[in-house]
Amino acid sequence: MKFRRFAQISILAACAGLGAPAMAQQQTITWWDFFAGGDGVRMKALIKEFNDEHPDIQINATTLEWGVPFYTKVRTSAAVGRGPDLMTYHLSRMPLGLSEGILTPITQQDLDTAGLAQSDFFESALEAGKSPDGTLYALPFDIHSIVLYYNKSYLEGSRFLDDQGALTGIESLADFEEVMQTAADNGAQVPLTYATGDDGGAYRVFYTLLAQQGGTLISDDGEILPGDSTEKAIKAIEIMTRWHEEGWQPEQALYEASVALFTSGKSAFQLNGVWEVPTMKDLEADGNLGFEWSAVEVPKLMDTQTTWADSHGWAIPVQGQTEMDPEKRAAVMTVIGWMEKHSIQWAEAGHIPAYKPVAESDAFKQMQPNATYSSLADRATYDPRSELAGVASPVYDAALNIVSPAMHGYLSPEDAVEQIKMELQSRMR
Amino acid sequence: MAMIRNKPRHRLIAFTLIIPFVAIFALVFAYPVIEVVRMSFTDAPLIGGGNWVGLDNYKRLFSDNLFYTSMKNNGYFVLLTVLPTTIIALVISLAVNRLSGRMQALALVMFFTPYVLPVSVVTQIWAWMLDFQFGILQPVIEAVTGKPVPVFKNPYWVMPSVAVVTIWWTNGFNVLLFIAGLRNIPEDLYEAARLDGATRRQLFFKVTWPLLWPVTALVLTLQLILQLKIFDQIYLLSDGGPFNSSYVLLLMVYREAFQLNHGGYAAAISLVLFLLIVVISVLQFQLLRMGGRDK
Repeated sequence: MKFRRFAQISILAACAGLGAPAMAQQQTITWWDFFAGGDGVRMKALIKEFNDEHPDIQINATTLEWGVPFYTKVRTSAAVGRGPDLMTYHLSRMPLGLSEGILTPITQQDLDTAGLAQSDFFESALEAGKSPDGTLYALPFDIHSIVLYYNKSYLEGSRFLDDQGALTGIESLADFEEVMQTAADNGAQVPLTYATGDDGGAYRVFYTLLAQQGGTLISDDGEILPGDSTEKAIKAIEIMTRWHEEGWQPEQALYEASVALFTSGKSAFQLNGVWEVPTMKDLEADGNLGFEWSAVEVPKLMDTQTTWADSHGWAIPVQGQTEMDPEKRAAVMTVIGWMEKHSIQWAEAGHIPAYKPVAESDAFKQMQPNATYSSLADRATYDPRSELAGVASPVYDAALNIVSPAMHGYLSPEDAVEQIKMELQSRMR
Repeated sequence: MAMIRNKPRHRLIAFTLIIPFVAIFALVFAYPVIEVVRMSFTDAPLIGGGNWVGLDNYKRLFSDNLFYTSMKNNGYFVLLTVLPTTIIALVISLAVNRLSGRMQALALVMFFTPYVLPVSVVTQIWAWMLDFQFGILQPVIEAVTGKPVPVFKNPYWVMPSVAVVTIWWTNGFNVLLFIAGLRNIPEDLYEAARLDGATRRQLFFKVTWPLLWPVTALVLTLQLILQLKIFDQIYLLSDGGPFNSSYVLLLMVYREAFQLNHGGYAAAISLVLFLLIVVISVLQFQLLRMGGRDK
């Protein structure tokens, strides 16, 4: 009897506990993201500021592991209604997200609630957030890409620094290889560093070299490296192999090691994402860097100037079989709208805001080195629109599995491209 | 008294005694297995139903090159681990068995400790020890081959390296099984054999080895099942690369199910793997028993 009484009381208490926030009209938004590095610190600051400004909406944020773990968890939890109310999402992953059916469309009414309009965003980023029939499923937050970081100390006295001390004179592959040799002659242990032994590093450089030749990785009708793109892919791997053979790039460098080579001053150049800008800034501010640096858009090495790019975006997952309460949805859209309008703080993490009023503001134009490389936004090449591409996809696996061994001499570029085609074609459904 | 039984009552008691087990077994094993079989004939995603596609998944599987590559690698890995780990465990247990008291306990603890570690810790330890730039084992490799080797990135080194890590990790358990087996051999047999003038060699081959055979067969079978299910170490150390030279069946299941959301296809692969393990291990155990009978 006693136990039953106890159980009744606890159930009542639990109900009262659940009911309380609803009575206070406060919305708690479950938020999932994958920012664990320097950008995570900046995101947490934004969330705190939002929570302080909005007594009626509280964000309850959780940071999960980037990549396959994040997207697997999102997919399974959203399908059974235990997912977040709002999450960050890579727009390169939209095709797979759409095929999983876990994203809800963002309607005009949603945009009105957030105080946003489609015309506020960079065209290419907005398109990446839409399904093939033009329905919007994710709002872009930023545009991020790889950029060329450089250490000025290895270039002094060469033709590659102008009188302001900015990188200049790289207009072709020959120029780039010349500058790497110059850096090597000036004592750079590894002239160019990138994560040669990791999926992301190998993929982004490979895809950029392919895109600069006008090559297509996966065509819209699902063909892998159609037509002369095969030749172009071989060429891209040949270039990376050559950089390895000349000792211009590190052997089997994992991500952390590749960054350390640059920050410790052993490398003259780094091809890496804009998200390492805060690392460089923080080191510089603490006086631990020991050299002058900057970053520019990846120069034109092949036929056209373009760079691999992706966007972090906002998406609202399905809630299992049920619909999200309209008031909650309005609160979620309020969060998105606020974040977009405060994305100048996100730009501190190196990214280019996708929201044009911020990207075109004076504050952003004065932010360095972002303003220098923000020109890439108009020329960027996004990942192919395929379920096989995007963050932590089979395409990334292929980079680790095939491109990286090939440039280290375990496979010829021709065989490597043949394998990439076979591998990806067989994953095609 | 004991012979007088209330039969229906007796049956009821028996039934109530096994029902908890049957219920749990049905819930966490039988039902999922039936679901996997059903799912393997559909195009279901990871969560939710799918359409019946008949044998499509299997047709696709048997024409998938990656499936054959993975199967080959699974076989190679079994070769690299099962026999070596059994032999090493036998040698270690024979040596440990000669120690006594505290020294024996200490030696056992030392060999058993790696087995206690979680796989992520084990792989982390070895990934650092074999790290291409900073690994403390690289000078050793350099002394033998003349240059440092990125072991988990080299197609020839990757499987043997994963096998070494696996043997180091799991060997302690096999040592324990062998020690138990050795302790079960009555001391008088050795005494009698010695009285008959048996040499040490003869003692091992005529007494220890035949009497230890059931344990050896058990270790071999357990190892075979365990090593066919290789996944964690590959996933954490090499991710199946370089160019699929360490791709194994369970990694294929994982990638299809969790990365590509092809639940049905993943179910088909895991069912084939399940049948493979059942067939191979039953076959092996029968062969070993036949081998044992000859002795």
